[in-house]
Amino acid sequence: MAAVRTDRVEGGRSADVREALVGYGFVALPMAVFIAFFIYPIGYALYISFFDWGILGKFESVGLDNYTRLFHDDLFWRSIKNTLYYTAGVVPAQMALGLLMALAVNQAIRGRAFFRAAFYFPSLAGSAAITAVALYLLSSDGLVNTILGTDQPFFGDSDTALQSIMALNVWTTSGTIMLFYLAALQSIPTDVYEAAAIDGAGLWRTFWKITFPLLKPGHFLVAVLSVVGCLKVFDQAFIASGGTGGPNYSTLTAVLFLYRTLFGDFEFGYAAAAGIALFFLIFFFTAVQRLLFGRAEVGH
Amino acid sequence: MVVVAAVSAAAVAASGQGRSERSVAPQATQVSGNITFATWASNPIETKLLDRFLNAFRKKYPKIKVNHLTFEPGYPDTMLARFAARKAPDAFYVNMDLALDWTKQGVVQDLTPYIQKYHYSTKPFFPKLLSAFQVKGKTYGFPKDWSPLGMETNNALLAKAKVKPPQTWAQLKSAAQKLKDDVPGGRPICLSNNWDRLMAFVYQNGGTFINAKKTKSTVNTKAVKGAVDYYVGLIKQKLAGTPAQLGVDWCGEALGKQKAAIVFEGNWVAPYMKDTFPSVKYKINPMVRNKRRGNLAFTNSYSIAKQSKNKPAAWTLIAYLASRPGQKIWTGSGLALPTRGDVTPLARFKVLVREAPYAHPYQFAPKFSKVLDVSNNELSAVIEGKKSSQDMLKKIQQTANDALK
Repeated sequence: MAAVRTDRVEGGRSADVREALVGYGFVALPMAVFIAFFIYPIGYALYISFFDWGILGKFESVGLDNYTRLFHDDLFWRSIKNTLYYTAGVVPAQMALGLLMALAVNQAIRGRAFFRAAFYFPSLAGSAAITAVALYLLSSDGLVNTILGTDQPFFGDSDTALQSIMALNVWTTSGTIMLFYLAALQSIPTDVYEAAAIDGAGLWRTFWKITFPLLKPGHFLVAVLSVVGCLKVFDQAFIASGGTGGPNYSTLTAVLFLYRTLFGDFEFGYAAAAGIALFFLIFFFTAVQRLLFGRAEVGH
Repeated sequence: MVVVAAVSAAAVAASGQGRSERSVAPQATQVSGNITFATWASNPIETKLLDRFLNAFRKKYPKIKVNHLTFEPGYPDTMLARFAARKAPDAFYVNMDLALDWTKQGVVQDLTPYIQKYHYSTKPFFPKLLSAFQVKGKTYGFPKDWSPLGMETNNALLAKAKVKPPQTWAQLKSAAQKLKDDVPGGRPICLSNNWDRLMAFVYQNGGTFINAKKTKSTVNTKAVKGAVDYYVGLIKQKLAGTPAQLGVDWCGEALGKQKAAIVFEGNWVAPYMKDTFPSVKYKINPMVRNKRRGNLAFTNSYSIAKQSKNKPAAWTLIAYLASRPGQKIWTGSGLALPTRGDVTPLARFKVLVREAPYAHPYQFAPKFSKVLDVSNNELSAVIEGKKSSQDMLKKIQQTANDALK
């Protein structure tokens, strides 16, 4: 950078400005779309959350009432608890499975391309379609129960409903996680492994002391995307419970709570407050992860 | 002014002619315009029938251009977006579940002035069905069709166990005990884990969900608890199973797959059985009773948008659709039951229509969607044995009272 600058010292300033303008020009259109479809609706939702808002517009201003009501709404807290439980279960499982698959297809084995495609394939099928099929597979006399010899209605029992959705999601999304880890794995220079082999490190030590730590940027990326995705889970909960969040509130996730408030009771303001609350929750988690994993980058 | 006078004069003159429809709607020559009519589309047979129905209307009122829109899937969500965007269809279906909320939100037109202006008699409508679309004495829609719950029994299984279709709670229980061994899984009754079936049993035990004034909930009472304990009791004693326990989506499927010998569904089960399980022979019986007869009514209405820019034309459409000749066309093929006492239903549905006096619309108050969600979740907890019916009713009553405030 410094070398270039001294070369252009005379037309330096205007060249920089021109370069900057070109940059902004390219970014302008996507930024406009981003502002219009993301920033503006979030701002508008924040605005709505201070009102009692119906289908045709505001009824009256209620200040922070929606938030206090939310704070005392045990249905909302149940939905947050379910969502956090879901995230705490799915994220480590997804990461572990994705990493395992990435390590597997990173080897020079026969049929590697097939395995890569096969492991990724579930991610391509839409979550709605997979859940619809799972409703049949996991019904009390469906394929899974026939193989196991039981008659457990997986989605119809509050002890297994959420867990079934979690398992389904781990299976679907680990393919995408695998891709991220694969990219990160392939960016590790091979001489590190050669050095480890020379020093006599075994398979497990190589993985745990070398590969795993060097994947930190990959971990961070995967963790953030995974957590954010999990906190927003909706489709599977909606389809598996028929929109009720049942049985016994077990599949009521935060977004499903928001959906029911909006489309069931037409309380736009209250739903907006729930959305803003969820936004801050996700923001909090992302900030925490940035703190935890962000420090690792300094070492590089 | 002149038009109104002419129409009123015509109405007065025509009313002497008995059941002439001219007296209840503007003259065909006077109303014109383009209107949109939005409906859902549950199945192709219904769509075809609706096309024929609308063509009959178009012939009678050639100056009104009806553009029929179907929003499927997601009819309520699409309508919500339309209302919010101020682009509502002129006339549309209203689901009974949403009627009170849509009315409260101010998107549905009050029909009372039109009823009075055109002397439209609402007497033939079954009162309980019409009341589902009335708020504070004003009418916001005409019921288009309806169904109560019937008790469907599998002919072969009942004959094999030598059981007659039960009529009381005690008979239902003993019939189930005799039928236990004749169904796979051993649960001869299918009972949905939803208050939209349980509520019928609550009414049969003399209980109610909310009081008549809609000011407080009456669900935490002995009568309701008795009904809940009976209903859940059948499931816990393995005489009945929920759809999830029987491995089906709904009890109609259990009837068709012969996993249950007795189910409680409305007339919608008839086309389903005919299409999907034509070889299973079943009978539609009256609902069981306990202290009294009690049943639920499921209905929808024809309504007009408050935002509509051509209300006279929209009124003409729904007045025709809900009228006697209109309902004759719509319900003549047995797809649905007429909501008017002056239209004869098909013979095999007479047993359902006879439930009309005891059929309460499954509908309570605005903002009750959350209350029903809570009620159904609590019910599944009680069925799983995780909660007592007492605690459930306490929780539901509290949630309902909050919504009624």
